[in-house]
Amino acid sequence: MEIVPRVVVTGLGAVCAAGKYPGQIFNSLLDGKVSIAEHMGWDVENWPCRLAGVVGFNPRELINDRKLLKLIKKTDVLGIYVAEKALESAGISGYRESLTSEADEYFAQRFGIYGGTSGALPSTQYDFLPLIKEADGSTLIIGEKLNDYINPMWLLGNLPNNVLCHVGIRNKLKGPNAFITNHSTSGMLSIIEAFESIRIGDTDRAIAIGHDAPVDPQTVLSYHITGLLAKASLCPFESKRSGSILGEGGAALVLETLEAASSRSAVIHAEILGKGCTSEAQGLLPVRIDGDGISRAICLGLEQAGLSTQQIGMIVCHGNGTITSDLSEGAAIRKVFGSKIPPITCFKWAFGHTLGASGSIDAVLAITALQRGIVPAIATLKNIDQSLKDLPIAKAHMEPIANTALILSRGFGGQNCALIVKATSRRGG
Amino acid sequence: MQDSGILPDAANGHRWGCSVGTGMVSINYKELLAFQREAAPKGQLEAELILESSIATDPIYFCRNQSAQGLSLLVKRYSIQGYTTSVHTACASGGQAVGTALKLIRRGDCDYVLAGGFDSMISPLGLAGFCLLDALSTDNHNPLTASRPFDATRNGFVMGEGAGFLVLEEWERAVKRGARIYAELAGEGNSLTSYRITDPLPSGDGPIQAMQQALRSAGLHPEQVDYLNAHGTSTPMNDRSEAAASHVVFGDHINNLKVSSTKSTMGHLIAAAGAVEAAICALTIYYNKAPINANLTRHDPECNLNFVCNQTKDFVVRVAMSNSLGFGGSNSCLVFRDPEAP
Repeated sequence: MEIVPRVVVTGLGAVCAAGKYPGQIFNSLLDGKVSIAEHMGWDVENWPCRLAGVVGFNPRELINDRKLLKLIKKTDVLGIYVAEKALESAGISGYRESLTSEADEYFAQRFGIYGGTSGALPSTQYDFLPLIKEADGSTLIIGEKLNDYINPMWLLGNLPNNVLCHVGIRNKLKGPNAFITNHSTSGMLSIIEAFESIRIGDTDRAIAIGHDAPVDPQTVLSYHITGLLAKASLCPFESKRSGSILGEGGAALVLETLEAASSRSAVIHAEILGKGCTSEAQGLLPVRIDGDGISRAICLGLEQAGLSTQQIGMIVCHGNGTITSDLSEGAAIRKVFGSKIPPITCFKWAFGHTLGASGSIDAVLAITALQRGIVPAIATLKNIDQSLKDLPIAKAHMEPIANTALILSRGFGGQNCALIVKATSRRGG
Repeated sequence: MQDSGILPDAANGHRWGCSVGTGMVSINYKELLAFQREAAPKGQLEAELILESSIATDPIYFCRNQSAQGLSLLVKRYSIQGYTTSVHTACASGGQAVGTALKLIRRGDCDYVLAGGFDSMISPLGLAGFCLLDALSTDNHNPLTASRPFDATRNGFVMGEGAGFLVLEEWERAVKRGARIYAELAGEGNSLTSYRITDPLPSGDGPIQAMQQALRSAGLHPEQVDYLNAHGTSTPMNDRSEAAASHVVFGDHINNLKVSSTKSTMGHLIAAAGAVEAAICALTIYYNKAPINANLTRHDPECNLNFVCNQTKDFVVRVAMSNSLGFGGSNSCLVFRDPEAP
């Protein structure tokens, strides 16, 4: 029987409103700092929903390539930046310099690249508004004046899979790949597909990237009118919680077989042990209040990891701050873990719900939490919802009870993912 | 689903998955016109006006334009409760979705997967995007021959729209219930060209690795492939590069390998293309017939392959391969085989 390789994490990168390095973002969580503000890049004076977790860095700070920056969107900038930070932290380019060109080509072909974002954003079509105005309903005029109004590279700037393409070109990665546009589970699904591609032997190494920048007028307004946005703050599990707040961000992980990582003496942050993915099949927006989908995902993850609930050291919830999502997560955890539940936390309260990036950011921060031995408190949580009071939700910092974390990610369409990771070293930074 | 004769039920719904290739999601053109009048009367979006726009404030408009909406509707309609995913790698999306489904079954995540792709970019913005890149054929006067993959005079692709879906089922289960088996999905391969966003390498590097990996995944040798359903978009660059890749992968066997691009008859279905072509490959095995590469009248020495021209050929198709090559450099390759062939 073939032995399934163990899959370890050797590189991490993350960016969001709270910072541009995993350690920096984690520190802001420990400080209880909320990086959500009333700035969204347009005049919001009369807007009922004015809060977001915007990434304020100059794009040149993130990617020093003016030509490329002209071609891509903010979401792509975030994705390419975190991917390259993760590759850098894994010491990939240094290692490749030691290879012959033939060995390097093989390395590139055996390096998988998996990405995810929530999906195409409506703002990609705003570039056509001036031309549509000029044409006044005439497609004839649109055709005639197309070249005067629209950048010839328009379509390429708006490809959802841009990050895959540019990370591949810039870093010469050529292996198996996928790009996932599956709302908020996209980031975690990219980790899962990278993990599985290594387990089945399609790749020796892979990068998994989640990225998103959904803070545009139409998207913010749409989340507001569907009742998903918070009135004041994003306070998961709080009795007065009223919804989520959108944020921008990205995170990436470099995964390798244990053997591949050991052969180049890479620093190993964590091991991926298992995953579960389920659908509740209720439609785009509904969530089953009994937590059916998320509890099934957790059980699948535990089964693949070969762990009992007692071996989980901490739980990072999706914790998006909406009434039903938080409640159903609590129900699922109670159902699976019974009365012995490890510390529970979540991270979105600090920098917003980054949709397709959120599963990736949460995975990176969960690994950091295990390495530091701290389960960060949810700083915006004052009074726990009466029906969640029995759960050990972190109102103050806690300690993981084992070096493993269960991370949950949920998205539109009743989709649920669970990921189980184990920290393999405790390092500062 | 109807054709497969099986539906998810309470007992196995959680063992069903769904893997779809989703398009770029373009806003319905009429809605975009109304949106412009309401929210951008001067041509620039006005933050105050969007709050009052009947289109922009319609939650159904929001739901309809979500990338996850198609997947969400499908899993709800059939109560699919296992692994569900929506992928987008431009023109490779459909092939990628079917390849993902194979992996879901092989690695034990699912016993059944509804897999496919759907897309329509036939709208002013969809067409405009490709016009700006000079990717489309301008033979507007001659719709029947405008799409002519591998022909020496080819001058771009012709847009199509559509959807293709396959029900994939773990072998033992399908046999046990006496299912009609069209073909076995035997392997899938995947690579990234990492050269330029739109251009393939003339050498075929990129697609070569995807095709080789698909054969390895299927446990087959190149000489065993009888039919190749080429990506064959009818653009000068794609077809030349794909022909070069095929020569590298198949070597001397290239003369025995029958090739056609079905985009010659239906156009390029973008995110749905690979899924429809996967279904075609399964049918070539079931019927032992290969579809023609229409409109191939002038030989291009750089596309020197054994094309199925003029009329459908009856021949034994034991193994069929389908290529999907996308903008962004993602290459997907699927291999189907006749499970009863030796």
